[in-house]
Amino acid sequence: MAILEIKNVSKFFGGLAANADVSFEVGQGSIMGLIGPNGAGKTTLFNCITGYYAPSRGEVIFKGNRMNGLQPDRVCKLGMARTWQKVRPLAKMTVLDNVMVGALCRTNSLKVAREIAHEQLTVVKMDAKSSFLAGGLPIGERKKLEMARVLATKPELLLLDEVMGGLNQAESEEIIRLILDVKERGITQMVIEHDMKAIMRISDRIVVLTSGEKLTEGSPQEVVSNQAVIDAYLGESHI
Amino acid sequence: MTETNVNSSTGKKWRRGIEPAVAVAALALLAVFPSFVSSPYLLHLMILLFLSTIMGQSWNLVGGYAGQYSVGHAAYFGAGAYTTMLLMQRFQIPPWIGVWAGMAVAVVVALVVGSICFRLRGPYFVLASIAVAEILRLSAMNLKELTNGAEGILSTEVPPLTIASRLITDFSSKVPFYYLGLVLVVLTLVVTVVVQHSKLGYYFQAIREDQDAAHSLGINLTFHKNVALCLSALLISLAGSFYAIYIGFIDPPTVLGLDISVQIVLICIIGGIGTIYGPVVGSLVLVPLSEGLRSNIIAEAIFKTGLVSPESGVGAFLKENLAHAHALIYGVLVVVVILFMPDGVLGYLKKMASKRKGVRP
Repeated sequence: MAILEIKNVSKFFGGLAANADVSFEVGQGSIMGLIGPNGAGKTTLFNCITGYYAPSRGEVIFKGNRMNGLQPDRVCKLGMARTWQKVRPLAKMTVLDNVMVGALCRTNSLKVAREIAHEQLTVVKMDAKSSFLAGGLPIGERKKLEMARVLATKPELLLLDEVMGGLNQAESEEIIRLILDVKERGITQMVIEHDMKAIMRISDRIVVLTSGEKLTEGSPQEVVSNQAVIDAYLGESHI
Repeated sequence: MTETNVNSSTGKKWRRGIEPAVAVAALALLAVFPSFVSSPYLLHLMILLFLSTIMGQSWNLVGGYAGQYSVGHAAYFGAGAYTTMLLMQRFQIPPWIGVWAGMAVAVVVALVVGSICFRLRGPYFVLASIAVAEILRLSAMNLKELTNGAEGILSTEVPPLTIASRLITDFSSKVPFYYLGLVLVVLTLVVTVVVQHSKLGYYFQAIREDQDAAHSLGINLTFHKNVALCLSALLISLAGSFYAIYIGFIDPPTVLGLDISVQIVLICIIGGIGTIYGPVVGSLVLVPLSEGLRSNIIAEAIFKTGLVSPESGVGAFLKENLAHAHALIYGVLVVVVILFMPDGVLGYLKKMASKRKGVRP
């Protein structure tokens, strides 16, 4: 069953089509990889899905509800949460407070929010840093903090925008494990990632975008052996 | 950037035990202050301190916590002052009833301002907030039938406050105003503490730190910014009404002027933005400074050292010019504080304290 349906979504900036007629479905509980060269429109698509942009044409359907034109806060309340390519820690708040802000999406009680926050920080192995200011964390921990914070909003669909960007091998491995853990918990995920090894390992299906259009869609194996994908994105040396 | 642990064990001890004790002691001292000090000037100074604290703290809610730098807060201050004063002078409605109307007017103004200005971010919001306050000032200046225009409004007499036909006070001395001011200060501080330790406080701070991130975490930006502004307007309109009744005279420049708006922001910047005690510290610095400079305290001090005699030519020059230069000296001092204490006086003191303990900042 599809939790998210993208139907003919287009987004124009003036004459430029950042997304043109993109359609696909994301199955409940699966991990959908989204790849493509820089400027292919991956982040724009995320913005259209999560309410930061209204699609110029087409529909975004989440759990059967039409999402076009909903503000990001409503989208989050409905169970869809995102992370940012460039991390956005609430710098002058502590790590715990950052995650509590996420948790407060589902509760009005600070006490409950604090419990949820500690729980999620334990999941990303950062509970020991609860009382540190978020602005002082190194990049690896900022990415994990961002994961804990969106998980605290109790999403059903999680959109991860390059959560492994700028991380070293060990840190990436940790994030991969975390993504697979999250899948175990039944949360659907959509992942933008440039690290092909990682995306091959975690994705159930992959959508390839180039110049705003969907090039192809399929299982990881189908996608990497597709000549059009090799020409547009991967290059010959990859095989 | 160094990693900062804000919850050291000494910090916890301070917040749990020492801080409440100090607050209660300070409050007790302030409560008995008028029994020991009868100088009207000192009482006046304390009342100005209270006023300044209320004004700074109410701005702090929207500026310091929610991060929306309104430089038009004179609008709400003036809304309170004018409403209460007009009701008293024109319709003989006593100020303790008029003040509620003042709050209502301030909130209506805040909702109008919020619905227009909160579409804008950063510097554009600042400019829009200034513009709205200026519109109010010019309206008060020109709607002569309603507001008396530039002549202002002079209160003839404050009716005595009676509860169940028992006289509470007739406002004939400064003491009732002192206690009224103290109550309002405590009220504003309590509101701030309660907000800070609530969902609202967390959401305000998240909006301050990163609006897009806050939005994506389920925070309705426009709604929460408007809540912050309305709360702030409520409290500062109280200060405006209090000012009007205490001073007994208002005109557009003194309650709606741009310099009032700037002054309100300065109280927080000097003390420490987004902290409970910042506006208190800011007022403790700014009010005595501004009063001292006005009464030519610097020239007096120079004469006391005996270096310059007040009768000499240089003495006369100093006496004449230091009194007139109080705005200049005030401005320079403010710039110095901002340059060398970017987190305000309170932030600077905290930094010094942690340095002395040998803790890495």
